[in-house]
Amino acid sequence: MSMKVVDGRAGPRGPTLALLASSEAGLLLITVGFVILFSYLTPGFSSPFNTYALTRVLAIDVVIGFSMMVVLVTGGLNLAVGAIGVCAVMVGGWAMEVAGLPILVAVVLALASGAALGALNGILTVAMRVHSFVVTLATMSLFFGAMIVMTKAQAFNALPAAFVSLAKLKTYFFASSMLYISIGIGVLLWWLFHHTLIGRQILAAGANTSAARLSGVPVERTIVVCHALSGALAAFAGLMLTARNGAALPSMAGQLGMDWLLPAFLAPVLGGTLLTGGTLSVAGTFLGAAMVTVLSNGLLQLELGEFWVQAFLGIILLVAVALDRLRAHLMAKRRI
Amino acid sequence: MSTTMQLLRTDWFGLLVAFLLGAIMLGVAQPSFLSTYNIYVILTAFALSVLVALSQMVIVAIGQLNLSVGAIGGLAAITFAGAMDLWNVPIPVAILIGLMVGVAGGALNGVVTHVTGLNAFVVTLATLSIFKGTNIGITEAQPFYDIPEAVKTFGNARFGFFPYLLFVSGAILVAVWVFMRRAVLGRQLLAVGGNRNAAELSGISIGRVVVAAHVLSGTLAAVAGMLAVARLQLGQPTIGDDWLIISFAAPVIGGAVLAGGHVSVGGTLLGVAIIMLINNALVLLNVNPYAVQLLLGALILAAVALSRFRDPA
Repeated sequence: MSMKVVDGRAGPRGPTLALLASSEAGLLLITVGFVILFSYLTPGFSSPFNTYALTRVLAIDVVIGFSMMVVLVTGGLNLAVGAIGVCAVMVGGWAMEVAGLPILVAVVLALASGAALGALNGILTVAMRVHSFVVTLATMSLFFGAMIVMTKAQAFNALPAAFVSLAKLKTYFFASSMLYISIGIGVLLWWLFHHTLIGRQILAAGANTSAARLSGVPVERTIVVCHALSGALAAFAGLMLTARNGAALPSMAGQLGMDWLLPAFLAPVLGGTLLTGGTLSVAGTFLGAAMVTVLSNGLLQLELGEFWVQAFLGIILLVAVALDRLRAHLMAKRRI
Repeated sequence: MSTTMQLLRTDWFGLLVAFLLGAIMLGVAQPSFLSTYNIYVILTAFALSVLVALSQMVIVAIGQLNLSVGAIGGLAAITFAGAMDLWNVPIPVAILIGLMVGVAGGALNGVVTHVTGLNAFVVTLATLSIFKGTNIGITEAQPFYDIPEAVKTFGNARFGFFPYLLFVSGAILVAVWVFMRRAVLGRQLLAVGGNRNAAELSGISIGRVVVAAHVLSGTLAAVAGMLAVARLQLGQPTIGDDWLIISFAAPVIGGAVLAGGHVSVGGTLLGVAIIMLINNALVLLNVNPYAVQLLLGALILAAVALSRFRDPA
């Protein structure tokens, strides 16, 4: 599921080493190592209840990570993922609770509003010719402010039981059914980026904008498409979180939706998606989210102090990006 | 070029006109705007926000960004308050400890950014988490209440409409203005932000400048955090949580170029002033105070669009 092994960044010593050097394999090993360690250290970690809770959190964080990944690939970023997620969810909550629309229609409405807000980010980025950082910084405040003013910060907490029960399904190995949905989204994204024209165009435009433009890639369109996709994925993550919480909460992603930023960047960046654009790894993002979820859950189970988990995740992000930098540096040296 | 045209081309002139027009309109619409107490309230908020904006501005000057401004401010705030509450250290020592937190936090950002060559965005996102996480780890999300009376009094004392807090912020504002205009290091910040290669070739030590900018940014954030403690009369762990947008909005409205090399202390000051005016107008005119988020977002977009229009690249 990855570009990285294919494009030869993995080094010259044959397939085994190449596989080990890829960030996906490394992440998988580390994650499995932590799972074994935590299961050994605390019985609570591998209990059916905990694996169910863990996979449910993982399912949501994976989609939040995807939402950032599809914008990172253009060389941009989207600070408004949380704000868009909350806005979309409030639209969905309103449609279900106030307008009384069928669940499916409400879900489609929520996804469409997420995509629309994302597309607006893309259009503004293209039209103003500025980095998406400043555009999404502004729209994060704009969207969140508009949402709070319109909802008066009130939650929709009388959602249909059928919608809420979607999040409660358990399946084989005590995993949350939502995890399979996230995997399904991952497969679709992989297919989009590696087997469709627009996906290839997005990768080309992200890797080298001017070269792509010269070869006839509609660069502006790829940027708008990626932002719209990011908005739709943020809306999807928001819907999953809403089903889990049993209510559409304006505060579910924190002030301005900023609580989503760390998981949103951690998963793709740990998974080897470059901030400069042009490469992405769907499997890496999934594994990045898995490692973060396993670590935070394990640390909570160990009762080392729940208040320190956030500081720990920050250190991991810092070490991970620094190591990735070092690895790229060493690879480049060896090639010379 | 005529004087009018020259004035129109500066970063601050249009903003000053906008601010004065807004203030006059608000004064006419709502006379209580000009009451001594209301002006005091605005100036107090201004005193805190202007430091937050300057803290971001010095990083924007070198063409980077700092997501951890609020987290450093919050951590400095709770160590300042915690030192006085738990260890009963004298106030000047507590201030020194708070400043050291700012210096250390900024130095960490600067050194990591420079040594690894990583994007400052990821680095400061990670350190945001580290600082905020340390804050929550130390306080367990509970405020420090036992602050010396002198600090509490200072945070809420005033001469008529002039809050004492503004003495600190005003002095720092002047110092930063002189620093950016006259000091060698201040000019070097802009040189590095404007053209890194040219700066390096002309003998500027990039690493020194980058670390210095981050240390300055951290220190300014720490001062803002400590003033917030004095103002709130307690060491609230949530200090700094809502600084991100305003820290970018004010310099950007003030004409700063996010790519680096061009910032304006006067413009940033007026940017903060305009935001404070809008905030106050929403309160006085009984509009939903949350609408300020919406307006801030729109204002950033408008400022960026305007700078594109003024200087089409």
